[in-house]
Amino acid sequence: MRKLKLGLRVLAVLLVGMVLHYSLPQHDVVRVVSTYQERQDLNDWTRVFWARPDDQSATLVNRDVQFIQTVKKKTWLLGFVQRDTTEAMVYRNEDTGFSWPFYFKFDTANLQTEADDLRSTPEAPKWAVMTHYGWRNEFLSSFPNAISIRPIDSPDARIIPWFNIFFFVFLIVAIVMIRAMWAQFWERTIDPVMDSAGDRYDEASAGIAERKGRLARWLGTWKSKDKR
Amino acid sequence: MGFIRLVVFGFIALSIIYLSLSVYFRSVRRENLEDDWAEANPDSSDKAARDVFVADGMASYHGSIRAKLVGLVYVVPTIVVSVIVFMTNAN
Repeated sequence: MRKLKLGLRVLAVLLVGMVLHYSLPQHDVVRVVSTYQERQDLNDWTRVFWARPDDQSATLVNRDVQFIQTVKKKTWLLGFVQRDTTEAMVYRNEDTGFSWPFYFKFDTANLQTEADDLRSTPEAPKWAVMTHYGWRNEFLSSFPNAISIRPIDSPDARIIPWFNIFFFVFLIVAIVMIRAMWAQFWERTIDPVMDSAGDRYDEASAGIAERKGRLARWLGTWKSKDKR
Repeated sequence: MGFIRLVVFGFIALSIIYLSLSVYFRSVRRENLEDDWAEANPDSSDKAARDVFVADGMASYHGSIRAKLVGLVYVVPTIVVSVIVFMTNAN
């Protein structure tokens, strides 16, 4: 039973972690190689890895998606430790609109233009920081969604993930707050009810005992008196 | 369509948070008032006076700025969303 509980807890933490890892912004140091646009089929379960723009028909099964091809600096530990090696990385470039995840991105065409403008060759690289969310998976053909790109002078530029810092501080505050609210609710609302229920039970059983006593005494009056 | 959905569900979610927070802060305030009374009158068993004291305290809490600050639950997310919309789409 204890192992089952632990397992469920680990599962819950993993699920929340996966959702956060998918949807929170991450920063890559990249060099844009090219951009392209390709027709994508949207009729199987991998649909979840594509955006759902507002102005798109719900029954549409394929549409054009813009992509940004880059060479990316590899990292360790979720991007905190930079490595010298590079790898190919392709981002999709789609509006998220007003739906989940809440990036409120509407400037896909502008971003594509900025990425095109930053194109460079290995001989004369122009490095940039690409903000994105999502996962690249070659087997599922899923691509991270590019959110914004900004040029940097050197590929070793220090990136501070401000949004994630605020997000996790807020998350901790929210969890502490919910625990405090729950404790307060329990102390002020549930416990008094339980106490008074306990009191009422005590009173009721005392009352029953007394009535029993009275009944016994009354019955006693019917007993024959001492025979003298 | 997405905008309307966000506004409707956002409003519902924020209302739930607003109600829970205002109930919580009222409850904490009432508890503090009861503790104050117990400290000031350690051996008083005058329940009516205690109720009047707590009711007065709650009345002045309801009129205070602190009670109204819970309304920020609606204001702050609206500002945050506006800032994110601007930051994402401005060049």
